[in-house]
Amino acid sequence: MIKKSIWIIDDDLTYKFIIQKIIAKSELFESVKTFSNGEEASIALKSTLNFPHQIPDIILLDIEMPIMNGWEFMSEISILKPIIEEKNINIFISSSSIANDDKIKAAENPNIRGYLTKPVTLDDLMKIAS
Amino acid sequence: MRINKNVYKLINWFYNKPIISGIIVFIFLSITFTFIAFQQNKIYKESKRIEMSNILNVITLNIDQTLKNCYTTTLTLALTIDENGIPQNFDSIGKRLLESNNSINAVQMVPNGVIKYTYPLIGNEKAMGLDILNLKHLQKEALKSIQNKKMYFAGPLELEQGGLGIVGRLPVYLKNKFWGFSAVIIKLDRLLNTSGINSIDNKKYSFQISKKNPLTQKENYFLPEKIKLSNSNYVWRYIPDGDWKLYLIDKNAATIFNKFIFSIILGLFLAFIFAFFTVLLLKKPAQLQFLIQEQANKLINIEIKFKTIFEQAALGIANFDRTSGKFIEINEKFCELLGYSESEMKNKDFQSITHPDDLDKDLEFVNKLTSGIIEQYSLEKRYITKNGKIIWVNLTVTPLFLNNNLKEFSFISIVEDITVRKRNEAKIKKTKYLLESLINTIDGIVWECDVNTFEFTFISKKVEDILGYTAEEWLSSKTFWKDHIYHEDRDYIVNFCSTRIVEKLDHDFEYRMVAKDGSIIWLRDIVTLVIKDNKVVRLRGIMIDITGTKKTEKDLKTSFNLVINQNERLLNFSHIVSHNLRSHSSNISSLIGLIEITENNEERKEIMGLLKSVSNSLNDTMIHLNEVVSIQTTVSLATEKINVHNYIETTLKVLSVQIKSSNATINNLVSNDVEIKYNPAYMESILYNIISNAIRYKHKEREPIITIKYYNENEFKVLEISDNGIGIDLEKNKDKVFGMYKTFTDNKDSKGIGLFITKNQVEAMGGNIIVESELNIGTIFRIYFL
Repeated sequence: MIKKSIWIIDDDLTYKFIIQKIIAKSELFESVKTFSNGEEASIALKSTLNFPHQIPDIILLDIEMPIMNGWEFMSEISILKPIIEEKNINIFISSSSIANDDKIKAAENPNIRGYLTKPVTLDDLMKIAS
Repeated sequence: MRINKNVYKLINWFYNKPIISGIIVFIFLSITFTFIAFQQNKIYKESKRIEMSNILNVITLNIDQTLKNCYTTTLTLALTIDENGIPQNFDSIGKRLLESNNSINAVQMVPNGVIKYTYPLIGNEKAMGLDILNLKHLQKEALKSIQNKKMYFAGPLELEQGGLGIVGRLPVYLKNKFWGFSAVIIKLDRLLNTSGINSIDNKKYSFQISKKNPLTQKENYFLPEKIKLSNSNYVWRYIPDGDWKLYLIDKNAATIFNKFIFSIILGLFLAFIFAFFTVLLLKKPAQLQFLIQEQANKLINIEIKFKTIFEQAALGIANFDRTSGKFIEINEKFCELLGYSESEMKNKDFQSITHPDDLDKDLEFVNKLTSGIIEQYSLEKRYITKNGKIIWVNLTVTPLFLNNNLKEFSFISIVEDITVRKRNEAKIKKTKYLLESLINTIDGIVWECDVNTFEFTFISKKVEDILGYTAEEWLSSKTFWKDHIYHEDRDYIVNFCSTRIVEKLDHDFEYRMVAKDGSIIWLRDIVTLVIKDNKVVRLRGIMIDITGTKKTEKDLKTSFNLVINQNERLLNFSHIVSHNLRSHSSNISSLIGLIEITENNEERKEIMGLLKSVSNSLNDTMIHLNEVVSIQTTVSLATEKINVHNYIETTLKVLSVQIKSSNATINNLVSNDVEIKYNPAYMESILYNIISNAIRYKHKEREPIITIKYYNENEFKVLEISDNGIGIDLEKNKDKVFGMYKTFTDNKDSKGIGLFITKNQVEAMGGNIIVESELNIGTIFRIYFL
């Protein structure tokens, strides 16, 4: 099985530590990239146009981030929609927010594959990897 | 008198029966005229008769004379006879006799009945030798003379000698013995002549001699004229000497008869004419009588009509004397109205039944009417009825001229009971008044206007209370409403109205008008369209002052917004809270999970460390939240009079380390005497947060300069803190500046909670905080205190 690459976009250091540990433990992913806010991630994603092999398979996106939050990130990369679809980038919201509005927003956004509520478990990872 | 009456009656009878009278007259006159005709006729006849008698008498006389002459002659002849019975000197005596008596044609001596002697012989030869006594046709007559011993005239007969004539024979006796006759012969013509028969007017009369034929006993007529003998058309004489009947026949008897008939006819005609005229004449009175009767009937009818009208009219009618005011004639209705009987009314005058308040006016009118200033008058006045009730009447008085004399007149008054009407009028007035006062007490301006021009036709008094203008002022201008709409609303409102009118819809809208004192009044205008025949004819509505309501509305809106805000913030807050708490708690559980599955001690230590820091963060979050909650739920805040300048100085002291390390310049321009009532803890917190932010977010390329000012703006006191730091992109981050846990910088120290708390604190004190900023230039925070 080809291992996938995954990006983590979250400002919570503790969470990033945790998720990376879990990813390592799962041995499901080949590469992990982390970003602290939407701005960093969007820049990086746009630059992958030139380096298609760097395009991630899965993105775990947090909502609450400084500078550019999750929703702002989504609108920022909306122009990359064709690539997302073509390259089948699965973007998942991973947030500690249990607000219904967020869930609805995620459902309405065609680019978002799913909504994960923290804490993300190994099982969750296995699900999204497949 | 009786007789007179009877006569009168009789005459009347005639008058009444003209035709019968005419007939009577006719009969009477006919009888009269007939009688007259008769008499006339009789007279005429008599006179005729007399005339005829006279003529006949004359003739008779003449004939008598002639006969007497003949007697004389015959006697003379007889005397010529001598003793022997022989006439002596017959011829000469005869001649002489003939000369003296021209009525005879011949003389004869007839001894023993035989004609022996005749003079003149010529012409009479045939008669010679006639034996008269033995001739049948002569014998009787001759004998007759012998019988009578008198002269007898025979004939008229056919003489032997020819021709008709009479023979007068005188029997002569000699020595008492019949000798014979001495005779004369008168030819009929001569007799006719001498007797004057021929001189009878042939036109008038005809003459006839008749003698009873001795043989036939029939009457022989000797004159050729045929005659009709009727009762009255002839006279006759008898001449015994000849047994002759002399007839004088009126030829014109018929004429007389005709005349008579004519007279009768004329008389009848006249009678008829008279009768006719009598009838006509009598008819005239009858006609007159008829006309009189007709007129009398008409008059009676009119009088009955009048009486009926007068009596049965639904209005009271009265005739009263102008000087005394007393009632002369009064109809039933009038009496009924007043409750008095007719006889009682006739004793009263109008003044006594008039209500005292109306009397003067009434009398004034009466005077004017009397003096001819006015021709009639109408007046609404009160009468007092018999039982003291007051009734309202509509009185009309006109003069009634007597005998077409303009100087003499009485008054006719006609009254109509208007008590009910007056009552209704009063009711209506009252209702109107009530309505008006109702409209004017309604807490809104009731109005009505023209649909096309918006010119107002009615506006209630409330307009004065609401807009300060009186109704008169409003109605004086045709465009008052339009002119006084607040200029911002005017066009829209006028348009809106017009559109609704075209759509034929009632409408309800709000707008502002400018009151007399210049203030703006919010009105709610509820407009109803009055539609007739599918066209809008006018508008009606009510304007309600909603200025207060509007204010309340505004306040409510503000409160509502505040609540919404609050709610939002609360929601936000709760989201954030749950998010933050959750993130920490989820981290903790994940870490614990990791610890459980990790075997590596190093890793375990690392994880433990993280656990510790997460736990601390959780703690901090709890503290922050507590703070925020406490700010938001504090009911009453303790306030003190604080000197702003001093508090700023204290804060600067607290931040002295940061100020020094960043080389910041703080300009405290707040004057020493500024004192406000504020919660001291809040003030400290606010000042600390903003000033520390200003220092933290300094621009890389320059030293921070922070200026603190204090001034008044309208009714607010403003504390202004401005810096020259990196500024904020308000376009992007406006909502995040005061948001909870909202950061937008890379600065590690920014937690996103400071300004959130500050804002809460300021708003809890009833003020407001706003930010102005420009990237790379600087930021200004303004705090408004109440």
